Amino acid sequence: MTNIEQILPVDFSAITKEQMVFAVFGYMTVICSLFLLFMLFSVIPALRQRKQRKRFRTEGLPESAAAVVPGEVSAAIALAVSLYLEELHDQETSILTIKKAGKSYSPWNSKIYNVINFNQFKR
Amino acid sequence: MEGITRFFEHTGFAAATPGHLLMILAGLLFIWLAIRFEYEPLLLVPIGFGILIGNIPLVGQAGVQMGVHEEGSVMQFLYMGILKGIFPPLIFLGIGAMTDFSPLISNPKLILLGAAAQLGIFLTYIGAITLGFGNLDAAAIGIIGGADGPTAIFLSSRLAPHLIGTITIAAFMYMALVPIIQPPVMRLLTTEKERKIRMKPPRSVSRREKVVFPIVGLLLTGFIAPGSLPLLGMLFLGNLLKESMVTARLADTARNALIDTVSIILGVTLGASAEATTFLTYQSLQIFILGAGAFIISTAGGILFAKIMNLFLPEGSKVNPLIGAAGVSAVPNSAKVAHREGIRSDPSNHLIMHAMAPNVAGVIGSALAAGIMLGYLL
Repeated sequence: MTNIEQILPVDFSAITKEQMVFAVFGYMTVICSLFLLFMLFSVIPALRQRKQRKRFRTEGLPESAAAVVPGEVSAAIALAVSLYLEELHDQETSILTIKKAGKSYSPWNSKIYNVINFNQFKR
Repeated sequence: MEGITRFFEHTGFAAATPGHLLMILAGLLFIWLAIRFEYEPLLLVPIGFGILIGNIPLVGQAGVQMGVHEEGSVMQFLYMGILKGIFPPLIFLGIGAMTDFSPLISNPKLILLGAAAQLGIFLTYIGAITLGFGNLDAAAIGIIGGADGPTAIFLSSRLAPHLIGTITIAAFMYMALVPIIQPPVMRLLTTEKERKIRMKPPRSVSRREKVVFPIVGLLLTGFIAPGSLPLLGMLFLGNLLKESMVTARLADTARNALIDTVSIILGVTLGASAEATTFLTYQSLQIFILGAGAFIISTAGGILFAKIMNLFLPEGSKVNPLIGAAGVSAVPNSAKVAHREGIRSDPSNHLIMHAMAPNVAGVIGSALAAGIMLGYLL
């Protein structure tokens, strides 16, 4: 009969100092790398907004217009544009377009090969 | 009569062992889970079917050039894509072309949850060492905690090729079982009040930000952990193909035809590699136990980090700790689980968009951890 110690023979003395340092250092490196990415992408929108504010100021527009557009507003605008374009499509369908519906020639659909030529049987 | 007996001896029935039958049952279980509950069906159906193929008795010995471990067989050629680490970067290319990083760009602090949820990788590495696994084997087992199948294949093909089948099947199996593994951990570590936290809707993200993200991401992660480049390089390339909007055809191929083709070959050959003779060992059982532990620790790591973040965040900007669990990659299953758990507490609190941010950050985090392990241990 197998007991739990046989399946999981835990031995904490097997861990070396180097392995412990690697585990801690490795985890910290993952956190620090993504922290850098977080810092970068926290700064970028702020810079963008600052640049926009400056442009708005020079153009004489209100600075509040440079505020970041919330996702809900964007979604509402996108829905409105989509609905408008779909309606346009309905109006377009009233235009009739006649397309040529001809089949290209192939020996397999050629009429001449499917009709018995009785002329050669005439005497 | 003698002829019939000889014929019977050459069939699979005569050579079948309880191990074969057990593995066939495991294959059927995978297929059932995929079809009945739709748990990662794109992976579990090919893997389950591959297990059936790999465990037909005599497949490896009948000289029909069928077995994965049979020299020169067609299956072995296809299996090279796994053994040589060819398939994972191709899958990452497709994932990159599918992924929308805008939830992450719009709320960058959620990136940190994806990093915190990699705790399971490094703790399981230590855990595997205590069970007597070697340094390289332990690192390959630890990556199961990243909850990312292609990353698990890539790292184990480099560090522990003899364990690749077990590690990868454990990773894929637990990824499929995320809806069963994660909710109890989430409920245990969060209060009802925390689960009801509403998060601010994400801001809209400009096209320029979306184009800059893969480039900056590649340079940053590439310089820190060059070992992660085969995975993250392809992930960010796929994303740039999508977001640049000038390479729509390439992005379309990467996220549809290419990733589908690779998934089928990868799934079938991976399943077929799990032959009863090599798979049913104590070591495999230990790996499965460690893998389950890795998933639970990673889930807990993400949730607890979200709770710590909330201590420093002002009211109104707090994070729902449930989305911390989505930091364990397993895209998009773990984000869906976080969303579902949020809905259970407050039916009008939709967390899916917020959960996608740590979820995609988790993909970057686990590939980065794999790169760090490769760079340090090889």
